[in-house]
Amino acid sequence: MKTIFRARTSFAELVRADLRRPHPFAAERVGFITIRAATTETTLLLIAQDYHPIADGDYVPDLSVGAMIGQEALRKALEIALLNKVGIFHVHMHDWPGQLWFSRTDLREQLKFVPDFFKVRRKMPHGAVVLGPSAAAGRVWLGPDEIDRISEFNFIGPRVEVFHSDASGTVDYGQ
Amino acid sequence: MNDFSRQSFLGPRSQDVLANTRATIVGLGGGGSHIAQQLAHIGVGEIRLVDPDKIEPSNLNRLIGATGLDVQKNRPKVEIAKRMIAGVRPWIQTPTAQQKWQEADHLLKDCHVVFGCLDGYQQRDYLDAAARRFCLPYIDIGMDVTQIAPDTFAVAGQMIMTLPDGPCMRCLGFITDDRVNAEENRYGDAGSNPQVVWTNGTLASLAVGAFMKLVTPWFRDSEPYTWLELDGNTQTVTPSRQPKHMPQYEKCPHHSGPDDLGDPFFALPSL
Repeated sequence: MKTIFRARTSFAELVRADLRRPHPFAAERVGFITIRAATTETTLLLIAQDYHPIADGDYVPDLSVGAMIGQEALRKALEIALLNKVGIFHVHMHDWPGQLWFSRTDLREQLKFVPDFFKVRRKMPHGAVVLGPSAAAGRVWLGPDEIDRISEFNFIGPRVEVFHSDASGTVDYGQ
Repeated sequence: MNDFSRQSFLGPRSQDVLANTRATIVGLGGGGSHIAQQLAHIGVGEIRLVDPDKIEPSNLNRLIGATGLDVQKNRPKVEIAKRMIAGVRPWIQTPTAQQKWQEADHLLKDCHVVFGCLDGYQQRDYLDAAARRFCLPYIDIGMDVTQIAPDTFAVAGQMIMTLPDGPCMRCLGFITDDRVNAEENRYGDAGSNPQVVWTNGTLASLAVGAFMKLVTPWFRDSEPYTWLELDGNTQTVTPSRQPKHMPQYEKCPHHSGPDDLGDPFFALPSL
């Protein structure tokens, strides 16, 4: 099954603008995107609905990573999933050149918190997305232990932009 | 020189972009068949075709690609469009559904752009809503002929493009409850709707122009919608002024509810 992540262009710009804001001590910002979903026989479609930035006070000082969020930020995200029929996607940004993909730290940390969303909203997909200056890449969890790459990103606005990931999930910035 | 050299101004990657684009055409009559033909020439990689109907003798005045034999054989319109596209570029994928579009939404959800070539306001309203539900641009065309005096007819049409972020066709004032109700009251009494090939062709070209602005960088347009009106009598096209007289909503109030995105009853176990 192919997974497509689709967002309005203006929505993606809003998320990027928020993630680019400097934080008092964290090197980067993170947030959560809620999604609705649809399927065909061959495709899982994830449609971005709302963006929930992490409050400044919910970051934890930790020089070993770009951004570490505390339990309160995760509790708020879990509550969103509990109270709404949505999937939750962690989002952050990589603004440097090269292939767009998660760092080893990102991949490790995602395994710690993404499966928790299935405890409160088990019938929706959850996951993580990394935004580049124009493109995006990401992973989707179809269950607490079932992870797949997002194979296509669509940004829909006055220009329709389509980004395809390669077999590893990465997306070239040049695309 | 490759076979796309005359459209290289569309951008250095445009042929790849187009080859990776999935467009769905709902309605393969006079308007939709023109659009299918143009998308094939342009090189769109996947053209999805949805129409429940078979060709009738009265369609031959405007159905692009159709032959007298198709009428004799009473062939489905999607089959005619598929054959026409294959004749231009055999590598283009053409999934088809000889069904109502509501029964073929698998051809809508994961496409990139939806073209609507439907009769009637109610069906347009539904399809516009469906496109927004799956966060898709929707490009609609339609024409009408009205008798304005003995022996005098007004030929008119419109091309409207809506985006998930912008106003819907109700926000723009094209679809109104009055029009939908009037249509319902006329149901079964409408007679045959006049349609002609040259007006359909003009409207289809406007629709494909809007599509190309969406998917290739040849002309940057930041408008949240497009509504062009065709006066078929004077052969002129002008932007509609109707939206200027409508309430200006920050967010479409008709299709922006929390449950207006995705499958209404989506659940992972169904995968």
